[in-house]
Amino acid sequence: MNPDIVETVNVAREVAWLPWAVQYFFLIGLSYGAFLVSLPGVVFRRAGWDGISRLALLAALVCGLTAPVALLADLHQPGRFWHFYAYFSPDSWMSWGAFFIPVYLGGLMLYAWLAFRPLLASHAAAGGRLAPLAGWLAFGGHASRNALYGAALLAAIGAVLVALYTGVEVMVVRARPLWHTPLLPLQFFITALAGGIGLTLLFRRFAPVAREGDAAVLRLARALALTQAAVLAVGAVWLGLGLSGLSAVHAEALAQVAPSASWQLTAIWAAGATALTLLLAWKRPGSGLLIGLLALHSAWMMRWTIFIGGQEVPKTGAGFYTYQLPLGPEGLMGIVGTAGLWIFLFVALTTLLPLERLGRPQA
Amino acid sequence: MKIERRELIAAGGLVAFAAGFSQTLGRMVSNFVGEAEAAHNLHGRSAEPEFRVDPVTGEFQPNPAQQVSYTACLGCTTLCGVRVRVDKASGRVLRVAGNPYSPLSTDPHLPMKASVKESFIALSGFQDKGLGGRSTACGRGNAAMDQMSSPFRVLTPMKRVGPRNGGQWAPIPFEQLVKELVEGGDLFGEGHVDGFAALRDLSTPIDPDAPQLGPRVNQVAVLSSVNDGREGFARRFWNQAYGTLNFVGHGSYCGGAYRSGSGALFGDMKKMPHAKPDLANAEFALFIGTAPGNAGNPFKITGAQLAKGRSSGQLDYVVVDPVLTNADNRAAERGRWVPIRPGTDGALVMGMMRWMFDNDRVNTAYLSYPNLTAAEAAGEPSFTTATWLVITEAGHPREGRYLRGSDIGMEIAEDERYKDADPYLALGADGVPVAAATLAAAAALESAGTVDVGGRSVAVQTSFELLRASALKLDIEAYSAICGIPADVISGLADEFSSHGPRACAIAHGGMMAGNGFYNAYSVLTLNALIGSLNRKGGFVMNGGGFKDAGVGPRYDLETFPGQIKPSGTPLGRNVPYEKSAEFARRKAEGKPYPARDSWYPNAPGLGTQFFTGALRGYPYGLKALILWSANPLYGITGLRPLIEKELADPAKLPLIVSVDALINESNAFADYIVPDTMMYESWGWAAPWNGVPTKASTARWPVVEPKAVRAADGRPVSMESFFIALAKAMDLPGFGPQGMADIDGKRLPLECAEDWYLRGGANVAFAGKAPVGDASDEDLSLSGVDRLRPALERTLKPEEWRKVAMLYTRGGRYQPAGEAQDAEHPEWQAQRFKGALWLWNENVATARNSLTGKRSSGCATWMPPAFGDGTPVRDIHGEADWPLLLMSFKSALQNSYSIATRITGLHPDNPVIVHPEDAARLGLSSGQRARIQTPGGSAEGTVIVHEGVMRGVVAVEHGYGHRELGARAHRIGDVSQPQRPDLAAGVNINDLGLPDPTRGGNVVWVDAISGTAVRNGLPARLSPV
Amino acid sequence: MKHHPDSNPDRPQSDARRAFLRGVPVLTAAAVLMPAPARAAEGGQHWGMLIDVRKCIGCQACTMSCIQENAVPEGSFRTVVSTYAIKVEGGDQPAGTYVLPRLCNHCDEPPCIPVCPVSATFKRADGVVVVDGDRCVGCAYCVQACPYDARFINHDTGKADKCTFCAHRLEAGLLPACVETCVGGARIFGDLNDADGELRRRMEAAAGELKVLNPGQGTRPNVYYIGLDARFEGKVEGQGTLWRPRAVHG
Ligand SMILES: Nc1nc2c(c(=O)[nH]1)N[C@H]1C(S)=C(S)[C@@H](COP(=O)(O)OP(=O)(O)OC[C@H]3O[C@@H](n4cnc5c(=O)[nH]c(N)nc54)[C@H](O)[C@@H]3O)O[C@H]1N2
Ligand SMILES: Nc1nc2c(c(=O)[nH]1)N[C@H]1C(S)=C(S)[C@@H](COP(=O)(O)OP(=O)(O)OC[C@H]3O[C@@H](n4cnc5c(=O)[nH]c(N)nc54)[C@H](O)[C@@H]3O)O[C@H]1N2
Ligand code: SF4
Ligand code: SF4
Ligand code: SF4
Ligand code: SF4
Ligand code: SF4
Ligand SMILES: [Mo]
Repeated sequence: MNPDIVETVNVAREVAWLPWAVQYFFLIGLSYGAFLVSLPGVVFRRAGWDGISRLALLAALVCGLTAPVALLADLHQPGRFWHFYAYFSPDSWMSWGAFFIPVYLGGLMLYAWLAFRPLLASHAAAGGRLAPLAGWLAFGGHASRNALYGAALLAAIGAVLVALYTGVEVMVVRARPLWHTPLLPLQFFITALAGGIGLTLLFRRFAPVAREGDAAVLRLARALALTQAAVLAVGAVWLGLGLSGLSAVHAEALAQVAPSASWQLTAIWAAGATALTLLLAWKRPGSGLLIGLLALHSAWMMRWTIFIGGQEVPKTGAGFYTYQLPLGPEGLMGIVGTAGLWIFLFVALTTLLPLERLGRPQA
Repeated sequence: MKIERRELIAAGGLVAFAAGFSQTLGRMVSNFVGEAEAAHNLHGRSAEPEFRVDPVTGEFQPNPAQQVSYTACLGCTTLCGVRVRVDKASGRVLRVAGNPYSPLSTDPHLPMKASVKESFIALSGFQDKGLGGRSTACGRGNAAMDQMSSPFRVLTPMKRVGPRNGGQWAPIPFEQLVKELVEGGDLFGEGHVDGFAALRDLSTPIDPDAPQLGPRVNQVAVLSSVNDGREGFARRFWNQAYGTLNFVGHGSYCGGAYRSGSGALFGDMKKMPHAKPDLANAEFALFIGTAPGNAGNPFKITGAQLAKGRSSGQLDYVVVDPVLTNADNRAAERGRWVPIRPGTDGALVMGMMRWMFDNDRVNTAYLSYPNLTAAEAAGEPSFTTATWLVITEAGHPREGRYLRGSDIGMEIAEDERYKDADPYLALGADGVPVAAATLAAAAALESAGTVDVGGRSVAVQTSFELLRASALKLDIEAYSAICGIPADVISGLADEFSSHGPRACAIAHGGMMAGNGFYNAYSVLTLNALIGSLNRKGGFVMNGGGFKDAGVGPRYDLETFPGQIKPSGTPLGRNVPYEKSAEFARRKAEGKPYPARDSWYPNAPGLGTQFFTGALRGYPYGLKALILWSANPLYGITGLRPLIEKELADPAKLPLIVSVDALINESNAFADYIVPDTMMYESWGWAAPWNGVPTKASTARWPVVEPKAVRAADGRPVSMESFFIALAKAMDLPGFGPQGMADIDGKRLPLECAEDWYLRGGANVAFAGKAPVGDASDEDLSLSGVDRLRPALERTLKPEEWRKVAMLYTRGGRYQPAGEAQDAEHPEWQAQRFKGALWLWNENVATARNSLTGKRSSGCATWMPPAFGDGTPVRDIHGEADWPLLLMSFKSALQNSYSIATRITGLHPDNPVIVHPEDAARLGLSSGQRARIQTPGGSAEGTVIVHEGVMRGVVAVEHGYGHRELGARAHRIGDVSQPQRPDLAAGVNINDLGLPDPTRGGNVVWVDAISGTAVRNGLPARLSPV
Repeated sequence: MKHHPDSNPDRPQSDARRAFLRGVPVLTAAAVLMPAPARAAEGGQHWGMLIDVRKCIGCQACTMSCIQENAVPEGSFRTVVSTYAIKVEGGDQPAGTYVLPRLCNHCDEPPCIPVCPVSATFKRADGVVVVDGDRCVGCAYCVQACPYDARFINHDTGKADKCTFCAHRLEAGLLPACVETCVGGARIFGDLNDADGELRRRMEAAAGELKVLNPGQGTRPNVYYIGLDARFEGKVEGQGTLWRPRAVHG
């Protein structure tokens, strides 16, 4: 802070992308991250991935279904969401995103349905809760591998597009140096993947299944460790580019936040949490609950910091704006609301697809 | 169990979801069922334009849904002419900007002969006219319209419920209000209260042993604020009809010290003439204790001219101020801020004078003209008393007085002695004293030391010599040490100031409100006499003044009436010589005439600063009733509130407090009754610029929107005017009622409503001067909304008058053409000139005695440290060891004292306490931290902001915050509560920290000993983190 | 431009005295940018504004008039005059006031436009950048993209809001509210294509001193400044205001 210039009158711009947006980016990231974790077991039938990949697919589904609702809420004219489709604007990444989301979600739902049909059928057969519904949804319960491949491919394309657009949409905002770095999409992607893994680990922890799947947990922990290493590496590159001045955009981004004590704290916190996750995932891969939570925390915090923290940096004014989380829908209630929806969907889906059934490796 | 929990969790999730997304859902629904947006999809909710002007042809087309009217702003005491845009259907004010006919808002202003339509076109984009003819309202002026619809307005007469200042009121009918106030009675269940009828005792003395105090009617006192164009009416009622002597405005806690200093120089300590820099033409202006463009009256036009001068390169200026303000602009490079210690301006100025005397930079040629004729013959438009002789013989009965003709044996009738006919003397060519007025050329600036008076030699000196001696008392280094301004800057300032001939000026105002304010101000203003800039284009110029409405005018007599009373007695503010009081006679008889019980201020005007403590302590007498008309002394007088808060709440000490106001402020919260008054654009009036406009100007105030207050039984909205008229009728007072006033031929006319007064006052304005104004056309009337007044105009005025008065309303006033500021024959002279002498030596000041000590003080500019009433320097009592800092306030550039509940507050919701980085470091304070400010008078908490824009050792507070009322506290009126807005209480008001004067018994506020004005600059203080 | 024609001819301007008043120039030099005023829509109007910072007195008349004219909700601003107390290094005074009127620059390369997912915001032929309130979904992407913090979500309308150069007034042949009421006369408004207009005349007179905010963003603003200090062109490095204006929304 330069004490030689003291702003005596100015106005603050309030945060325009609210916690809703954080929730969206967080959930959609978890969804496509978990979707990726679902592939080895469900699509490629890699040994030992079976149960865990299905859990991942459930995670992808719950998060994927919640995310767009949060996005809708971040619009101040939610009733006009159809304008996105009526007035396609090819210059805008957000406009493209409006088309990518249904591709991804459509593919994901189809893929999940195809993947879960047999389970729904067995749930119905076993007379589980809401068995008739499960039976109806199973629609015969056949496993149609080709259709599944097709749906997975569609979802994968959608996931890539969503990962791309969510990253680039933010990255292109030159007015916010903190956002405007080419590494940002990559950072979003890696932390999303880590979050997806983390959530899967969490599901796994609560799926009352026998020890037999531990190998998969270890493998996931390894993967998580790798993502954390990648996060640190990319972070180091970001910092290096900024400090060295080799890259102007990184230098500018760094310059905006470096002087702030709270940003320094945030950076140390984030790096520390990542390193801790890495360490634990590597040394004690069995601590699934802890590293899963840590990974989720990092993914959420990264987005909170980028979105809310980024908007606390005035574009023209001096100093920083201070954001205080409002209690209403535009703040805390919004976060709680998305969590509520998530929980509802989770409960609803696990009623039909109990975790233990999902997590149990199939013969 | 397990199953139930699942369901519960799911349900909980759904509930949370519903709550979180309710708003989203609501928005989606309202998209379909909500109100349709206005047709113009690109302009959001912007207002429809008030009219259209074709950019190619200039063709004009009004918007029939809106009215654009010219009236006055009351966003501050400047009272600018503004244009108010009203939505006709709702009566809502849409926006306010400037009146292009008004010199307070436009430079140069439009001539009156331009039609209203032309005036509108002149504001438009057509041929870029609106850029050159720009007519503005300032930020506060734009925000002030919020007051009109403020939820904090008083709209009905009300009477307190419970104790004073309890915040509870009962609305009462106007008729009940008038009856209770006139007749009195057991009004609050607290015992009998005398009504106005009983209190109007014009014959019984307040104190039979002190008949000088006057009749009991003087125990009813009125405190008002500024003359908003309606004071003439209020004074007619209280002074001339009701008969009390005690009616004062806010002068003594506004910039009174400055005006008294000016009064000393201009030779009239009661009316206090004053002048202002001619910024439009000046080359150099020195602002000492007034911050142009930050505040000041006239605020807006001064700011505009400053901006113009500094960017065109015509003007250089220096602002001497303890705190950095918006008077500075780092992009312009033509202004300079010189930080100074509060209350030390006299040292700076006497240092400058010393440099000017030492370096032969005093315009001695100018000073040597002993009268106006000699001066004019030499091309000078003004003159001074520099050559006049003053008796300096120690012990001489007339020591300190000017030597007069009768003193040296001239033939003067005894009853004319020392009056106008007894001439002042200067030394003629042969070194012999002659009547100064008779000399045709220069007189000597240096005396021979003595004159022969009847064979005895008496020591005399010229005013010039006395002033020079005063300046030479200290050297520049010593002056520098006092004021904290480096010696080279003092001499640099003197050099610059004296390098522009008469196109320079030194001016002061609020910054003089220190414990030595009078002498500081007298000193600053005397600088102008030393360069001869008075009445000079680009120099120190007089106000054009208004066209008189409330006088014996060309059409109506608004001044005299049969049965009018000439109030008499001792004013409550004791602004008369103690030596004429009964107390003095008694004490003298006892052999010890001094000290008096408290200070007297013979050289001051009416003093609101003394009203409360005087009344509550019964010195010189107590009050039976106090009327507060749109004034807020408890917020505005430094140190008053903590001293009197308790007593004021006690009806036994002051039985009746009645307020006439549009809002509840910190003062009338203590009232027993509040009578609603009109607000801003609802009011009538004829306002004149306070100063700073060299051409004649009268601003017309008229209800451009319907007054919001309740209506009385007669259908008229309750206001100051209707209230006073009703009181007059109920008490059958002269000067009001069916025969209340007269036209100029003596024909009696009714004075029964505001229109009777203001429209006829308007006729006086319209017909003033050589030729009356022209007639308003029907188009003028309809375009300006004045057609609404037409029935009243035709009813009240004579056929040959009404269109001329309408002319004034359509133009928002009467304004002399812009080009007539200078004298037609002498383009370097101002048209409006002060024709009297500038008194380098003021004998009345020199010979008055301090009533506490019997001592005299200097008769000319001098350095004197800030002191208490008996002359004890403040620092002798509150030393630097205990109170290392000096606390002062400066006006907010955005707020005034009552604009807090308007949109401007959103930009700057609080007032930070400014601390210099060095002081902050020493005290361990940083920006944003809370700190406790303490003075010997109290303590308060504020948020600190640290920057270099303040003098070291000074704590500066922006005035206009720290409110307890005006929305900061929700009052309950009947069963309706005002909105809760605790945010409006943010910040600090240093007036809650003012000092009592320990040399006057410690229970009165500290004021300047000569001018009696509040001391708010340089309060000894300390600061500590909380 | 300064002249003292008649005052004390025997005492010519001493350099020392000039130095006393002027001190060290305070404005840090910055890349001078001479705009090419003739813009697209040649022949038609191209609105622009010139702000002479030297004339601004920080009175916020512009800010308030804009709020009243355009019904801007509490806590939001289409324009504001940022005010600073700045330390003056080695100058004639310890500190000074710097004011900077800010509003939408109606950029010729406006980053706020391409991001809009529904093409609700666009630049008109007369240069004014506007938001189509019938189409805007209130996503605030444009708010993020504007490098000047000139946009906000209007909580009364739920749409993006910003200065429109008072287009509704321009259409009526009137001046923008903030220009009409500018006390210091700092805001000059007009048609950049009108070579004889006041705006172009003033711009040409100040040619060497004209600057725009944040030129590095490549936005090509149509709001020009005289007296723009380089330290204030982009994000200001300094201590922010202690108070945030109140905002009521939800
Ligand atoms: N913006 C704004 N404008 C206003 C008003 C308002 O409230 N706000 N009020 C109107 C009214 S009623 C009036 S009377 C005028 C007053 O206008 P001014 O007299 O110009 O204003 P003040 O702020 O009272 O005092 C002027 C300056 O004196 C400085 N000062 C304080 N103590 C000292 C000192 O000891 N020495 C020196 N040299 N300077 C000192 C203050 O810091 C301040 O900047 O403004 C009118 N215009
Ligand atoms: N510390 C410190 N103290 C100061 C000053 C300072 O700079 N610093 N400034 C001083 C100065 S210069 C002055 S002039 C005084 C001012 O002191 P005052 O003149 O006593 O008070 P104001 O605050 O101007 O209050 C006038 C009252 O009029 C009422 N009012 C407002 N608008 C309207 C209206 O449209 N119609 C009617 N009928 N009533 C209305 C409101 O209740 C308001 O409180 O304060 C002085 N006090
Ligand atoms: S200077 Fe005062 S009277 Fe004039 S527009 Fe501003 S607030 Fe109103
Ligand atoms: S200033 Fe911002 S909102 Fe205005 S046109 Fe430029 S980018 Fe768009
Ligand atoms: S807020 Fe409106 S104008 Fe801005 S980008 Fe979104 S839809 Fe477009
Ligand atoms: S041009 Fe109009 S909308 Fe833009 S800042 Fe000025 S007043 Fe506001
Ligand atoms: S109205 Fe003009 S002088 Fe006042 S703050 Fe705005 S730009 Fe500056
Ligand atoms: Mo005042």
